[in-house]
Amino acid sequence: MAEGTHENVVCTFCGCLCDDLKLEVKDNKITDNENGCAISKAKFLHHAEDRLEGPSIRSNGTSTKVSLKDAVTRAVDLIANSKRLLVYGLSSTENDAHREAYKIAEEAGGVVDNTSSVCHGPTILGAQESGEVVAALAEVRHRSDLVIYWGSNPQFAHPRHMNLHTKAAGEWIKDPKTERKIWVVDIRKTISAGVADKYIQIEPGTDLEVISAMRALARGKILDIDKVGGQSVKDLKELVEAMKAAKYGVLFFGLGLTQSKGRHRNIDAAIRLVQDLNHHTKWSMMPMRGHYNVAGANKTSTWQTGYPYAVDYSRGYPRYQPGEFTAVDMLARGEADVLLNIAADPAAHFPRDALKHMGNIPIINLDPKQNMTSLLAEVNIPTAIAGIECDGAATRMDGLPLYLKKVVEPPEDFLPDRDILKMIYEGLRRVKK
Amino acid sequence: MSAVGVKAVVTSGRTLKQGRGMEIGKLSSEYFEEVSVCEMDQVTFDALGIEAGDSVRVETIHGSVIVTSRLDRRAEPGVVFIPCGPYANAITGSDTEGTGMPDYKSIEAQIFPAKGEKVLSVKELLSKMVEGS
Repeated sequence: MAEGTHENVVCTFCGCLCDDLKLEVKDNKITDNENGCAISKAKFLHHAEDRLEGPSIRSNGTSTKVSLKDAVTRAVDLIANSKRLLVYGLSSTENDAHREAYKIAEEAGGVVDNTSSVCHGPTILGAQESGEVVAALAEVRHRSDLVIYWGSNPQFAHPRHMNLHTKAAGEWIKDPKTERKIWVVDIRKTISAGVADKYIQIEPGTDLEVISAMRALARGKILDIDKVGGQSVKDLKELVEAMKAAKYGVLFFGLGLTQSKGRHRNIDAAIRLVQDLNHHTKWSMMPMRGHYNVAGANKTSTWQTGYPYAVDYSRGYPRYQPGEFTAVDMLARGEADVLLNIAADPAAHFPRDALKHMGNIPIINLDPKQNMTSLLAEVNIPTAIAGIECDGAATRMDGLPLYLKKVVEPPEDFLPDRDILKMIYEGLRRVKK
Repeated sequence: MSAVGVKAVVTSGRTLKQGRGMEIGKLSSEYFEEVSVCEMDQVTFDALGIEAGDSVRVETIHGSVIVTSRLDRRAEPGVVFIPCGPYANAITGSDTEGTGMPDYKSIEAQIFPAKGEKVLSVKELLSKMVEGS
């Protein structure tokens, strides 16, 4: 690849997909990442470290290096002989790899789920119940005069979100310090709460009650109680009146809403609150997507299977059922008998019962780096890092697709996820003929 | 081992250092040092009779885990924070209530002082959880 400066590179860490990175490449190594946040710098400057050394197969606890062909053959053998394959991950790779993963799930009659089942899956369930009121990030910067982060800590999880989109000046918000207010609603005073104009602390697990009370107040109802979720009704009424008085409001929400008590009901209620506010003024909302292409995984899954996640092909046609065909449930029930994991680390992020079953079944793991899942996997196949060592496409948190550039060559024989998955799919087709 | 604990709600989530550690490598010291901690307020420290940096045992109905205590000056009694990762997962249940989503936030727990007890490495914790002990 070209040595020197690469401009307008898309960052592949979080759902912001910041597209203004300026990278310096020397001797096929990234030596500088200008504009990137602390996490982006860690990702790009350390991309060559801690890599999986090469394709390997583990037998009796000992991992042995093998050729890519042998690793793919073993993966095909495991999948072809599985009764309940679970294909999982996909949110940290590009869209073309997703296509091949769905084809494998269909061919094997397995289940395919992506990491949204443990992040914004409830957001999708809420939207399926009540619709979507979406905005583009550019719209937020140009128009919004009131921004709320609910159950989200962008300063840590999306480090440039505030600076680029909600603290930045826009076409009609020339001075964001005076013309735009930022509120944070959370159960603990996070670093983001510290830099907001207002911090609204609610009691843990009361999001649904608080949002429902705000909906009632927005509709002019009188509540015969004094407090909801630790907030006085008087204060909540003031918040609602300020929200109604905004010219353009945006509600960003994080896993504080989707992972806590109420789950999709919290989102359902939040969507309906935003709908209620739209009787008075303009409001939009947006999930703070974590992994850089988890929004893309939902889109590609919908394009190809008809459903955004939790898709089962055991009957030869796609069926959708979160809670049944979602990865944590499949593993905790002891149902999956082979796991094909792509660009995710379920061993680091799944609760203990689900993790325990991962120790009982063969895992085929595709990832550029060593991780906790690679420690358990029977077959490890190292891959090129999308957006650094191979190109592709990914989807930003507001749904905007962006092109990921290749800026350095991958280590020798490290192929993109899409190529390896294609080899597995073709091998599976040959075996099943 | 102390039998007297402090009740609290455990919540988990991303931190800047957890994100950095994750990108440097899941088996790196940066990752281990950031995810194997429990951030608590000063009142909880006083009640437990420990200082920041001492080990604490966090117990829920799903399991227990030893982590290093860390003072969060913004925190208030009743809510403690463990960055998302294997140590938080060790005390998280797998029931998703039919949604696919486990209860990663707002887990009722008790915090016990565990001064001197070893915090397992990422590899050791993984082995322990997979073997189910």
